[in-house]
Amino acid sequence: MNEVLEQLSNCIEFGKINLKSPYPPSMKDKIGADELTKQALDEGIKPNTILEQGLIPGMNAVGLKFSQNKVYVPEMLMAAKAMSTAMVHLKPYFKSGEVVRKGTFIIGTVFGDLHDIGKNIVAMAVEGSGWEVIDLGVDVKTEKFIEALEHNPNAIVGLSALLTTTMANMEIVVKCIKDKFPLTKILVGGAPLNNDFCKKIGADFYSRNPQGAIEYLNAAQLGKN
Amino acid sequence: MNMSDWKNSILSNSLIAAVPAMSYPGLKLTGKSVFEMVTIGEVQYKSVKALSEKYPVAASTLIMDLSVEAEAFGSNINFSEHEIPTVTGRLINSLEHIGCLRIPVVGEGRTNCHLKAARLAAENIYNIPVLGGIIGPYSLAGRLYDITEMMTAILIEPDGAHKLIEMCTSFLKEYALAFKNAGCNGIVIAEPAAGLLAADQCQEFSSSYVKQIVDYVQDNNFSVILHNCGNTVSLVGSMLATGSIGFHFGNAVDMLDILPQVPSDRLVFGNIDPAGVIKNSTPTEIKAHTTNLLTKMKPYNNFVISSGCDIPPDTAIENIDAFFEAITEFNQS
Repeated sequence: MNEVLEQLSNCIEFGKINLKSPYPPSMKDKIGADELTKQALDEGIKPNTILEQGLIPGMNAVGLKFSQNKVYVPEMLMAAKAMSTAMVHLKPYFKSGEVVRKGTFIIGTVFGDLHDIGKNIVAMAVEGSGWEVIDLGVDVKTEKFIEALEHNPNAIVGLSALLTTTMANMEIVVKCIKDKFPLTKILVGGAPLNNDFCKKIGADFYSRNPQGAIEYLNAAQLGKN
Repeated sequence: MNMSDWKNSILSNSLIAAVPAMSYPGLKLTGKSVFEMVTIGEVQYKSVKALSEKYPVAASTLIMDLSVEAEAFGSNINFSEHEIPTVTGRLINSLEHIGCLRIPVVGEGRTNCHLKAARLAAENIYNIPVLGGIIGPYSLAGRLYDITEMMTAILIEPDGAHKLIEMCTSFLKEYALAFKNAGCNGIVIAEPAAGLLAADQCQEFSSSYVKQIVDYVQDNNFSVILHNCGNTVSLVGSMLATGSIGFHFGNAVDMLDILPQVPSDRLVFGNIDPAGVIKNSTPTEIKAHTTNLLTKMKPYNNFVISSGCDIPPDTAIENIDAFFEAITEFNQS
């Protein structure tokens, strides 16, 4: 693999954002995802190659460690921050169509719930795995999900809830979406959820971690779900 | 009440005790709203009292309102008639702004409302301990600074993170003491955000501060129970290091992974899914889940059956009935 892309992948995996960032201590005073992405573009490496051979392997590596409890939320968030920083340089190429995303993923925390940490981690990890992510934020009303789907009818939807009180609102959102878009796949996640609850409310998939969500999305893209 | 005696009575009793994190379901018995419960001390007390009279609980628990401490610091709170209040926005935008924060005095915000409920409950609920509820220091810091920021702050700005958690701990020590002075027999410290950390991070940024609160208030007559509803299998050692008398686990873990890690003289509470099972299942399913957990936990004298977290407000009373029926039937068998 190209050396710059290998370094970039490492920066994503270990959450090295840029030269100024003191984290991780072993990479202090070294350039990070920000500088390396720019360097890769300057060297003429195609944006799609940067995505596929730099960012995605880095996010996959940290996502796997996260699902195996080898790293935890803080490290996962640092990796996601590094990935987001790199993405800033690639955004123009997504807009121009030079880089093609795997699909569109609409995500939001359901109405009544203001928590966003789980949603943010999943959103950033999914984006880092090559999907376009439309993050609707927190306390998202059902109509907002519907509106986003009207603009992106082939998108897959992710619903997040942290509270035992608000997870019940997921059922309302799922029902409305399925009524209007019966073919739309819906993923659910959040601390109080489980697979039984997912089935009970009519959602398609429950994942305990971002890696599970990514695997589901990638399989859906290939028509395997 | 001597809480060491209470603990020993549970340890020596072959029947499994029940202490669900249950206060909101009392609203079904009193006809009041969540908003009234979180803002009027008498309403909270009457709900808890009604539950303690209806069900054979080994202790009465006041509400887990994880917004009240942040509100005392100055955070904005989103209230609604039927939903638990939540913190909106962040109080500081950078750890460099910690100097702008003022450590509140107990009594500010709605803290007096909860302390009034605690005093009334302690005065009027007999024969069983009354346990107050406060948030843990790391979780409170996450509410003040934003939980996502707090997660990464421990890696990139650990000194600033420690300063903020120290401020939170200073307040929480006094708030915990206020529950003790109100006549409570203990408190449950809810530290859910620490469940997202690695064991060493949990020890450094949560448990070492929880220990300060425990050391400040725990004695023979006042016990601390540490609640963490995250994936805590690898955090048990760190939780034990707080010195708390008991540990309350959420439904993210299998209790069989937890109990073997806890010394037999410490109580372990857990962990029927409060939403997926107690709120959203049928009474028959609830009984099956409860009996299954009781059966698995039978070898452990220090196990106390509980919900994995606060039972949601609009849970049907029939479902709570089913939970207790399963416990009674199991103990009778």
